[in-house]
Amino acid sequence: MTAVTVPTAVTGPAAASAADPADELLALHRAGRLAAAYPTLKSLLARLPEEDSVRAAQLLSRVGPDEVLHEHPGLPALTVAVTGHGTLSALVPALALEGARHGIVLRTVVSDFDSYVFDLTDPDSALYAAAPDLVLCLLDPVIVMDELPTPWRPEDVEAVLAEKTALLDALTARFAGSGSGTLVLNTMPLPRVLASQLIDHRSRARLGAVWREANARLLRLTETHPELVVLDLDPLAAEGVAVTDPRLSVYAKAHLSSAMLSRYAREAGHLARIVAGQTKKCLAVDLDQTLWGGVLGDDGADGIEVAESPRGEAFRAFQKVLKQLASQGVLLAAVSKNDLAPVREVVAGHPGMTLREADFVRFAVNWRPKHENLKELAEDLNLAVESVVFVDDSPYECGLVRHELPGVSVVPLDEEPARHVEKLLRDGWFDVRELTVEDRARPALYRVEAERKDFLHSFDSLQDYLRELGVRVRIGPVEEREMPRTAQLTLRTNQFNLTTRRLQAAEVKELAAGPDTRVLAVHAGDRFGENGLVGVVFTRREGATVHIDNFLLSCRVFARGIEQTALAAVLRQARADGAREVLATYRASAKNAKVRDFYPQNGFVPVTDADGELVFRHDLASVPPVPDHVQLTESCEGNTP
Amino acid sequence: MNSIDDFITLVRDDLGLSVDDTDVDRPLGEVAGWDSVHLIALLTLLERGTGRSLSLPAALEATTLRGLYDVAVSG
Repeated sequence: MTAVTVPTAVTGPAAASAADPADELLALHRAGRLAAAYPTLKSLLARLPEEDSVRAAQLLSRVGPDEVLHEHPGLPALTVAVTGHGTLSALVPALALEGARHGIVLRTVVSDFDSYVFDLTDPDSALYAAAPDLVLCLLDPVIVMDELPTPWRPEDVEAVLAEKTALLDALTARFAGSGSGTLVLNTMPLPRVLASQLIDHRSRARLGAVWREANARLLRLTETHPELVVLDLDPLAAEGVAVTDPRLSVYAKAHLSSAMLSRYAREAGHLARIVAGQTKKCLAVDLDQTLWGGVLGDDGADGIEVAESPRGEAFRAFQKVLKQLASQGVLLAAVSKNDLAPVREVVAGHPGMTLREADFVRFAVNWRPKHENLKELAEDLNLAVESVVFVDDSPYECGLVRHELPGVSVVPLDEEPARHVEKLLRDGWFDVRELTVEDRARPALYRVEAERKDFLHSFDSLQDYLRELGVRVRIGPVEEREMPRTAQLTLRTNQFNLTTRRLQAAEVKELAAGPDTRVLAVHAGDRFGENGLVGVVFTRREGATVHIDNFLLSCRVFARGIEQTALAAVLRQARADGAREVLATYRASAKNAKVRDFYPQNGFVPVTDADGELVFRHDLASVPPVPDHVQLTESCEGNTP
Repeated sequence: MNSIDDFITLVRDDLGLSVDDTDVDRPLGEVAGWDSVHLIALLTLLERGTGRSLSLPAALEATTLRGLYDVAVSG
C-alpha cells in the first residue's frame, strides 16, 4: 500500500498511514483498484470512522457496478431505483457506500426531479423498465408545504395530507400491479419551522395531531400492501439527524439534508441485505465487559457488575436487548475465553442476570482462539459463518476475527457499556420483512438440535442413529398462512437452495395459485419434536414435462434423508400425474456449491451446462424409494395443477 | 486550502473526479465526469474543511472550477 497525502484543508493534519482506512480507500481509488478490491472493502469500511464517510461515499460512487461484477461475477447485485420529490443526488454516493459495506453491488437508477407520481403511475415508465429490486420513493415535508395557501391554517394542512396519503395509497396499488420487487416509502417528520408558524398552542397541537395521523396512515399502508416497506424517519430525526438543511432546500431543492439521506441510505442498505438474502442469524457475544462488567475469572461471580450499580444497570439494559432479539429468533451464543463451569453457574444462578441458559443456543466458552470457536459454532448450527454477528469489547479479538473470518460482521464495543445497545442495533443485522411463528421458535429448535447431536454420539453409525431418530416428512401444497414463511425460506436459505430464486410472499402466492405451477411445502419432525416448515419445492408443468424450478431446505435439517424423501415424493407424484420426465435446474451461487450434485446423486442425468446453470433430467423409469428411516405423508393428491 | 492546486487535489481525491490543472478554466459542463449533483457534495466538503459557511447562490452561478475555488476562498 502506498502512502498518500491528503489535503490538509479538508482532513486536518496529513498523518497518512497505510493502516488508516480512509487513506487505504484513497490509495485504491488512485490506483484504479476499487472494483478489483470490492470484496475486501467490507472489512475496510467496517473500520472507517463516521467523519470520513462522506468522502468515502464519493469515491465509491465512481466505481461502476458493471466493472465490479466483471471482476467478481459471484457478488450479489441489486437494481435500486430512486425517485421522489426534490433533489436526491446526495443519496447516490451514500447508497454506493452502504452497498460496499455489505458487499452488495447496487445499480442505482435515479429518476428525474420530482417525478415519483409519473414514475409509479405509468407502467411504461423508465422506473418500471429498469425492473428494480428496490424502489426508494423519498418523501419530504415540502411535498405538503408547497401546496399550502398563504396564510394557512391546520385544516389546510390536514386537507393536503389527506390528498397525499390517498395518492400514495393509489400509487402503491399501481406499483403492485406494474412492478415486482419492494417499494419503500418513508414518513415525513414535522418541521419545527412549520409548527412554530402557528403562534397559539391549541392550533399547533392540532397540526401535530393531523401530521402524525397522516404518517400513521402511511405506516399502516404496509398492512394491506405486502410489497411495501415504510421507513419511519422520526426515530432517525430523534437521534439528532437534521431532517432539512434550509440552504440546500431553498437553493438546490434538496429537501432532505445530506445527513438524513446518508442515514436513510443506511436503512436502505439493511433492506438491500434482506432482499439479497443476507440476513444474519446468529449473534455471538463475548461475556466479560460485554455482557457483564468486570472479569469473571478475576472478580468472581459476586464481583461482576450485572444489575444494581450504575455500570451494572448498563449491562442489564444490554442483556434485556439481547433477550428481546433472541425472543424473535436470533440465535444467541456466548463466545468467551473463560472456564465453562463458573460461566454456567452465573447464567444459572446469579440473581442479577437477565439472560438465562435457555436464552442461549450454545456456550463456546474455552481458551481457544475466538475465530476457531466461531467457525465451529457456525458448523454446529449448520449455518454459513457469514450469518454470524460477533460482539466483543476487545479490539484484539475484534481485529483477529475480522482478519481470520472476513465474512463475519463484527460489532466492536468499548469500555462504555451505556453505548453497547446503540452499537449493537446500529446496523439492523437481523432485520426481516415479517416474523413468522417458526422464527420465534427457532432458538428452542436449535437447542433441541444440540440434544440431537449428543444423541447421535451414542450411536455407532449414522444409519442406526437415523433409524432411532424417527424422521417424519409431510409434503403438500403450501397453505395461505404459510406464504410468509415460504417467502422467507427463499430469502434466508443460501446453502441448500438449488437456484437461489428469492421471492416475496405475493410472488409465492401467485405461483401457488397458477394453473401450471405448484409450491410444495415440506414439513418435518422427529422424536425430539416438530421442525415445522423446513423446505419448499417449486414445480411447473409443461406438457409431459415437470420442471423443478427451485428446491430448498432449511440448513437446520440437512442430511437426514428429508431432501431425498421430498424429491422422491415429487418424482412419484409427477409419474402418477402422467408426466414423462422431470427437468431440474441448479444455478451456482456463492453459497450453494454443496448441493451441486444433489440431482445427479438422486438418479438425474446432466442435460445442459451453461453459465453456472446446470439442467438435469429424470426419465421417471425408476423412481427412487423414500429412505427407509423416514416416514412420509403426502397431501399432493387432489390438487393437480 | 492555499491554492487552486489544493482545490484540484480535493476535487480529485474527495469527489473522485479525474481532473487536473488544465480543467480549471474549462466550462463545468465540459469537465469529464462533472455533474451538477457534485456541487452539493463539494460544498459540503469545502465547508467542513474550511469551517466557514459558503455562499450557495454564488456557487450555483460559478461556471468553472476556478469560479468555485473563488467562492471557496472568498466565502
